[in-house]
Amino acid sequence: MKKIKLTIEGMHCAACSGNVEKSIKKLEGVSEVRVSVMTHKSIVEAEDNVSIEDVKNAVSNVGYKVINAE
Amino acid sequence: MEEESIEEREIRSWKRKLVGAWALTVPIMLIMYSGMVFGKPIVPMKFMPLVLLALGFPVIFIIGGQTIRMGLRGFYTFYFSMDSLIALGTVVAYFTGPLSFFGITQDYSGVSSMIMTIFITGKYIESKAKGRASSEIRKLLELGAKKALVVRGKKEIEIDISEVKIGDVMIVKPGEKIPTDGVVVKGGSFVDESMVTGESIPVDKVVKSLVIGATLNQDGVLYVKATKIGSDTFLAHIIELVEEAQGTKVPIQAFADKITNVFVPTILGISVFAFLGWLLVSQDLSRSLGVAIAVLVIACPCSLGLATPITLMVGSGMGAKRGILIRKGEAIQTMKEVRIVVFDKTGTITKGKPEVRDVYSISKTNENDMLLKAASLEKLSEHPVARAIVDYVKSRKYKEVKNFKVLRGRGVEGIVGGKKMIIGNSVLMKDKGISLNKINSKLEELENSGRTTMIVAEGRKVLGVIGVADAVKKDSRSAIKRLKNGRYKTVMITGDNERTARAIADEVGIDEVIASVLPGDKAKKVEELQKDGMVAFVGDGINDAPALKQSNVGIAMGTGTDIAIEAGDIVLANGSLEGVVQSINLSKATFSKIKQNLFWAFAYNIIAIPLAIGGVLHPVVAEIAMALSSITVVSNANLLRRKRI
Repeated sequence: MKKIKLTIEGMHCAACSGNVEKSIKKLEGVSEVRVSVMTHKSIVEAEDNVSIEDVKNAVSNVGYKVINAE
Repeated sequence: MEEESIEEREIRSWKRKLVGAWALTVPIMLIMYSGMVFGKPIVPMKFMPLVLLALGFPVIFIIGGQTIRMGLRGFYTFYFSMDSLIALGTVVAYFTGPLSFFGITQDYSGVSSMIMTIFITGKYIESKAKGRASSEIRKLLELGAKKALVVRGKKEIEIDISEVKIGDVMIVKPGEKIPTDGVVVKGGSFVDESMVTGESIPVDKVVKSLVIGATLNQDGVLYVKATKIGSDTFLAHIIELVEEAQGTKVPIQAFADKITNVFVPTILGISVFAFLGWLLVSQDLSRSLGVAIAVLVIACPCSLGLATPITLMVGSGMGAKRGILIRKGEAIQTMKEVRIVVFDKTGTITKGKPEVRDVYSISKTNENDMLLKAASLEKLSEHPVARAIVDYVKSRKYKEVKNFKVLRGRGVEGIVGGKKMIIGNSVLMKDKGISLNKINSKLEELENSGRTTMIVAEGRKVLGVIGVADAVKKDSRSAIKRLKNGRYKTVMITGDNERTARAIADEVGIDEVIASVLPGDKAKKVEELQKDGMVAFVGDGINDAPALKQSNVGIAMGTGTDIAIEAGDIVLANGSLEGVVQSINLSKATFSKIKQNLFWAFAYNIIAIPLAIGGVLHPVVAEIAMALSSITVVSNANLLRRKRI
């Protein structure tokens, strides 16, 4: 299990954070996703096989930009 | 240079768009309505559609370009957002312009610019309000010191805070912030810790005191050895707690989220049906398009989706300022159902360390003398009770002690000022053959009120007795009184015996005592209490974790520099029980604000969308209504701040 923290730019409405959440949740091995439209941050809990790149792609697929991930 | 936050960048970007959009839309409006106002249009009717299209193009596709791209993207990814509605609405409206050349439809291209401009204006105001909502939390981030003055070798050098290493000795002058968590190695001062604990009274710091990074040194020079740096510091933990809480769900939002998720596609569908319906009935393409556009732009998923997160943000910020850290959004909803507040005793109601509570000397005039001698002797002992006596006396001129000896489990002895002194319990006195006749009744009285007694004897004569007990925190009593005024049932759980427990409970005014509970059984007792109603458990987080988890709302005392992160739903940074009352009030206020916001958001959409379908609202009016509704929600959330907690 690991925790990935993301800072995401471009989410300016609640439907946006919902989209990001849905998209990340679809990744296999992701157990929990929290996205805050207020702090622009997301915390993802996932199995070790999920890479930061996977998560970043999931975010950019729905049109938002990850500006920081750790 | 200071790095710009995402909020600031967003506000700046909306502002830039706002200026550009209005600069073009004002002329558009003048041209459109000049005919009505002046009787004669300023641009000949023949060229008007062309001019409007030319002026409108940059508004929609350049200034609003991002919105259009993001929105239209939804039509092939099927991840729709608010932008999808605005994008479709404005693009359709814009292309009525070229169509109008052929007389197919009325020209809505000017309207399209107005919609985009109002949308941008609304977003700008909203981004400002969001910035305000998160201002307290942002202040936390900016709280830390930037530079530190450290001793390296024999020199004092100023370095960046990121270069401070564990073990560095930092010099903190009066009026400066303590750079990072550490322990005082030299000097003494009062330190204002209100920024991280909410406690407004400055704390006296002496050698060996722990200090918290970002707190303000007031009047003395402190030499502080750094013990924690970077993400391990108290402040960093607080920020992490508060930020992580933002993504957590408040259950009441779940329904709104479900709606938000299907909202945009549903509105798209409704808009298409409204268009077809109107077309069928009225045979008027222009009218039907107008209705469809109005439906698209009036629907406001934002107010629904933002109602909870923005209010939670404001509430969290208000809490953080007072040392109340909300970890789980759920807690603020559960809190209003709580009827019973259960307290752990040691470290929660009490300070968790012994203090001198009573001094009794047989001959009144010698009380100070007795204390001074006792402290001189106890100063050499490491025992917590000995420490309590020394702290109480706090003298500058202790007497010289010879032949000091610790009598394990019983007390201490030594020669003070030429005379043999013995301090200890009654067992020790009996062993030494010292008569307790003169203080027997006093001893019994003290022990009945839960004190540990230390008898002071000189030679074979008893001088008096010192009563030591775990002292109650100074605001425990008032906090419990406020809870009882709020009709909460208060219960104390402790491993102590009934007598000691009762003494403390009576002192602070607690209703019910559950004493002699084994540490592992606290959670079970909480479970039993839960049969009578929702329970909030207040504990100091280190050994109370199971009970904190078992309770409906766990409130952990994150006292001092040791913050128990995983234990509670709410963490009180300053460990004061006033924080319990405040967190109950804050939770209730935040939750009722959330309900209010959700109500408005639902009410708005339920009323506005049918009006738009009915063709009552012009698309521009619809867009204004939409912007106002989301502004109302975010501003209303900010009003929470006015609430006294």
